[in-house]
Amino acid sequence: MKIRGAKLVHYDSGPNMTPLVDVVMVILIFLMLAGQFGGMEHYLMSNLPYSEKGLGGAKPPSGAVPDEPLDIRVDSPSPDQWVAQVGKIRTSDIDQLTQQLAKMRDDLNKAGTGTDRIQIVISPGRNVKYDYLIAVYEAAMKAQYEKIAFAKSH
Amino acid sequence: MKRHRMPDIKEGGVNVTPLIDIVMCLIIFFMLVARIGVSTGAEKMAIPETIQGKKIDDMGNTLTLNVRPGPGDQPFVTALVDGQPCQLVLSESRASKSTPSLVGVLSAMQKKNPEFKAIIRGEKDMQYKYLEPVLQSCSQAKVTKVDFNTKVVVR
Repeated sequence: MKIRGAKLVHYDSGPNMTPLVDVVMVILIFLMLAGQFGGMEHYLMSNLPYSEKGLGGAKPPSGAVPDEPLDIRVDSPSPDQWVAQVGKIRTSDIDQLTQQLAKMRDDLNKAGTGTDRIQIVISPGRNVKYDYLIAVYEAAMKAQYEKIAFAKSH
Repeated sequence: MKRHRMPDIKEGGVNVTPLIDIVMCLIIFFMLVARIGVSTGAEKMAIPETIQGKKIDDMGNTLTLNVRPGPGDQPFVTALVDGQPCQLVLSESRASKSTPSLVGVLSAMQKKNPEFKAIIRGEKDMQYKYLEPVLQSCSQAKVTKVDFNTKVVVR
């Protein structure tokens, strides 16, 4: 028996998207699970410049003019505290330290010592946390010093 | 009497076009941002946060040293050496094939590639006494480029 209504059925048939959606979803899930995201971390660059007081005791090349050292002594009076001493200034405020370092750089520049000839030597106590040392290191970077090194612990 | 015809049947499925648009955008985003199959040997740990810092585009010249406090005031250093995660010991005398010495590994890499960089990834609560021997080893191995891995401060 012939059904008359069957001929009138109309399918709105564009391209079949189902396999495309399947494949695309698989790729998406793979990328979400397998991907590592590098956007959340970065690096503080250091060239470990030559320093008499710096670590390792690397000797400068013959004829090299020694850099002007600028010591920052960092101590930890208690595990959650740090104090930095640079020149006559003793502070545990990172902004104040940055300002002081910038001022000292300006003074040295005015006296004819270029920034590339000044070497910051961070001299930490044995128990100072790495987090605090990185904060001091960053303060020196903010004050636009180019050579920053760690020295032996005191 | 006039007979009523049945109305035309249309396939009333879900419109997937917006879904595909969004999913394709997400795929392009992940393909651009995600790094797949690149392992630097960086281990999960709480690292210090900084505002300053630069990205390293070419990680091929680098060795990431994971530094943690170890027993007896000695640091516990691990890294990905020749594709294998291993512990690096500070003392040459205690070095073995499975636990090579830090100075030895750094020296070999520095000799092979003068542009070599050591990346220090240390726990933020670690004391300097644990970091100091690692820096000394870098200096002994004549590695002049040492970078400190930090987290970007989110403001």
